[in-house]
Amino acid sequence: MNRYLPLSILALAILAFATLMLVIAPGMQIDARSVPAGLRDYTEAQQRGRDVYVAMGCVYCHSQQPRSPDQAPDGERGWGRPSVASDYVFDAPHQLGTMRTGPDLLNVGARLPSEDWHLTHLYQPRAIFDWSIMPAYPFLFEHKQQAETDDTIVILPPAYAPEDGVVVAGPDALDLVAYLQALDRTYPTPTDGLRDDGYASGPSADASSVEEGDG
Amino acid sequence: MFGRNRKHDQPRPDENFEPYEEFSGIPMPVYWIAIALAIWGALMLYDTGKDVTLAQDDRVEDRAVQVSADLGEGGNLFVANCSTCHQPDGQGLRGAVPPLAGSEVLGGGPDIVARILLRGIDGPIRVRGEDFDGHMPSFASALNDDEIARIASYVTLTFSEAGTKLDPSRVAKLRDELADAGSFEGGAELAKLATSMSPQPLYPVPKMADAMTATVRDLVFVGRGDVWACASCHGDLGQGGENTPRLAGQSADYLAKQLNDFRDGTRNNESMQIVAAGLSDAETASLGTYFSTLRAPSNASPNLSADLARGEQLALRGDWALGVPACFTCHGSSGFGVAPDFPALSAQHAPYTATQLATWAGGDRQNSPLGLMRQISQALSSEDRRAVADYLASLPPVPAGQTASAEEATSNVN
Ligand code: HEC
Ligand code: HEC
Ligand code: HEC
Ligand code: HEC
Repeated sequence: MNRYLPLSILALAILAFATLMLVIAPGMQIDARSVPAGLRDYTEAQQRGRDVYVAMGCVYCHSQQPRSPDQAPDGERGWGRPSVASDYVFDAPHQLGTMRTGPDLLNVGARLPSEDWHLTHLYQPRAIFDWSIMPAYPFLFEHKQQAETDDTIVILPPAYAPEDGVVVAGPDALDLVAYLQALDRTYPTPTDGLRDDGYASGPSADASSVEEGDG
Repeated sequence: MFGRNRKHDQPRPDENFEPYEEFSGIPMPVYWIAIALAIWGALMLYDTGKDVTLAQDDRVEDRAVQVSADLGEGGNLFVANCSTCHQPDGQGLRGAVPPLAGSEVLGGGPDIVARILLRGIDGPIRVRGEDFDGHMPSFASALNDDEIARIASYVTLTFSEAGTKLDPSRVAKLRDELADAGSFEGGAELAKLATSMSPQPLYPVPKMADAMTATVRDLVFVGRGDVWACASCHGDLGQGGENTPRLAGQSADYLAKQLNDFRDGTRNNESMQIVAAGLSDAETASLGTYFSTLRAPSNASPNLSADLARGEQLALRGDWALGVPACFTCHGSSGFGVAPDFPALSAQHAPYTATQLATWAGGDRQNSPLGLMRQISQALSSEDRRAVADYLASLPPVPAGQTASAEEATSNVN
C-alpha cells in the first residue's frame, strides 16, 4: 500500500458525491415544496392513532401510495389520485409500505368516512367480508355487560355479537379510527407536486396497457 | 486478463521485491462499453423527460375542463357546459329550457349571467314571452372564477347587445357575496336585477317533501342497532366520496330499487347488503324520497386523468362504431336522470361510475333492466369507461326536483 492517499481521497469523493446526489439534492428538492392547501396536520388523537397503526404493523399489508393510471387502476378502485411528495409532509415516519395484501389506505377516509364501520371492521373484518384475511383486533376493544354514557358501542351483526352485554371501543381503537378518517388526500394535486412521472404515455397510446381493476 | 502476457524469466525471486502491478492500458472494449452505457443513460433521461412533460401537461389539462372546437376559450366552455340544455345556437328547448339568444335577462350584462351561474335558478321564468318552469343548476362548484368570467362574457357577447368582458376578480367577489344565497327564486327575483326583463310570474311557496319521518332520520343519521348510519358513509348531504356514491338528487324510485336489490342479493356489495338487510319496503321507499330531495354542491372531480373530450363524445353522441348509444339519450340531458328508471349520472364520483361500468362488464352487477347497461359497458374499453366517468364527474349536480323537466328535455332532444 503505497498509494493510500489518492485511494482514500477517491473513496471519500465517491461517498461525498453519493451523499450529495442521493441525500442532499433530493432533500433540497423536497424541502422546496409547500404544504398543500387541503392538508392539515394530525390532531393529537390522530397522531396517537398513527402510532397505533405503526405499532400494529398495518404497513405490512397496506400501502399508502396510490399509483398513476399508467401503472395500476388505483383511481378506478377509489384509492385516489397518484400521491405526490408533499402529501406526506406530516408523516414521520411515512407508512408508504410495499405490500398490498389489502387495499391502499392513503385515501380511506374519503371513501369510508364512517367511524362505526371502521370499529366493526377492526373488531372483526369477517363480520363484513366473510372472505377477509385481515387479522381481527379484539384486544383494542372491551366487553362490558352495560355500556356507560360516553362509551362508543360497536355495531355487530348478530352472528358476531357477544351473547350478553356489548362490545365498546377502547381508546386505542378510537384513536386508530380517527387516524384512518384523517387519511384523505383527495384535494387537487399541488401545482408543484413532485412525483415520478416516468410512466406516463399519451392518452391514446396506453389504451390497452391499463388492465382492468380486480377489486 | 485482457493484458498482454509478458513472461519474465526469473530463476529466483529477489528478496526485497515488492509486488506491483505492471502498467497495462485499459482495453478498448471497456471504453466502448462505458461509452455505450453513458449514451444509453442519456437517452433514457431524455426519454423519461418526454414522459414527465406529458404527465405534467396532462395534469394541467385536467384542471381546465375543455373541449376541442375553435370558438375561443369562452365558446368551448359554453359548448361543454351549457349547450346540452340551451343548445349550441342558444335557442333553448321549447317548453323546457329558455333561449339565451335574444333573452331579456342578458340585458343585465355579463354580471347577471355570472350571478346566475353561481346561484342557479328555480321556479318559473318568462323569456321572450314564453313561460318556463325548470331548474337551472348552479355551476359554483363545477367552474372556477376564470371559467365563469369567460362563459359570462361569451354568452353576452354572442347572444345579446349588452355584451362586455367580465373580469375574473369580479366573479371572485360575487362568489364570496353569494356564498349561501341559494338559487334565484325564478324570474321574479331576477327581474329586480335586470330592468330589461318583462313582468315575471310569481314564485310559488315551496312545498317541503315530508319524507323526513323519525325512522328515516334515525336510519340516516344514527343508524339502527346492527347497521351503520347512511350519513356516516354517504355524507350528511348524501354527497358521497370516491367509490361511495353520491345519492343527493338521485331519482327516488331508482334509489329504492337499488336498496331492494341489495337486500334481495341481486346487487352485490358487502357493506350495502348488511345495511339493506333489515329495511322494509316502506323504509327503502322513504329513504329514496329523502335522498332525492337533498341538494348538495358537487364534490366530485375528474380524477382518473382520462381523456375528457372522448368522455364528452360518448356522453353526448355515443360511438356507433362500438354500438354505444349516447348516454344522455337514456340518462337525460346533462346526465340529470329521467325518473323513475334512469338514474342521474352528473357530478357522480368518477371512481364510482368507472367501477359500476367495470362490474357490469365483468358480470358482477346484473340488476339493470333488460341488461341495457351490461351491453353498453362491455362495448367500452377500460380507457373509455374512465373517460366517460371523468366527464360525468365534471358536470354540475342535479338540482332536486329536476327529474320531471329533464324528461321533457330529452323527449325534445330526440
Ligand atoms: C394480513 C394482512 C393485513 C393486516 C396486517 C391488516 N390488514 Fe387491513 N385489510 C387486509 C385485507 C386483505 C383487506 C381487504 C378485506 C377487508 O376489508 O377486510 C383489508 C382491508 C382494510 C380496510 C378497508 C379498506 C377498504 O377500502 O375497504 C381498512 C380500513 C384496513 N384494512 C385497515 C387496517 C388497519 C388499521 C390495520 C392495522 C391495525 C390493518 N388493516 C392490518 C389485510 C390486512
Ligand atoms: C340542465 C340544463 C341546463 C344547463 C346545463 C344550463 N342551463 Fe341555463 N337554464 C336552464 C333552465 C331550465 C333555465 C330556466 C330556469 C327556470 O325555469 O327557472 C335556465 C336559465 C338560464 C338563464 C336565464 C334565462 C335566459 O334564457 O336568459 C341564463 C342566462 C342561463 N340559463 C345561462 C346558462 C349558461 C351560461 C349555462 C352554461 C354554463 C347554462 N345556462 C347551463 C337549464 C340549463
Ligand atoms: C359502510 C358505508 C356505507 C353505509 C353505512 C351506507 N352505504 Fe350506501 N353505499 C356504500 C357504498 C360503498 C356503495 C357503492 C356500492 C357499489 O359499489 O356497488 C353504496 C351504494 C348505495 C346505493 C346505490 C347508489 C346508486 O347510485 O346505485 C344506495 C341507494 C345506497 N348506498 C343507499 C344507502 C342508504 C339509504 C344507507 C343507510 C340506510 C346507506 N347507503 C348506508 C356505502 C355505504
Ligand atoms: C338504453 C338506455 C341506456 C343508455 C344508452 C345508457 N344507460 Fe346507463 N343505465 C340505464 C339504466 C336503465 C340504468 C339503471 C340500472 C338499474 O336500475 O340498476 C342505468 C344505470 C347506469 C349507471 C349506474 C348509476 C348508479 O348510480 O349506480 C351508470 C354509471 C350508467 N348507467 C352509465 C352509463 C353510461 C356511461 C352510458 C353511456 C356510455 C350509459 N349509462 C348509457 C340505461 C342506459
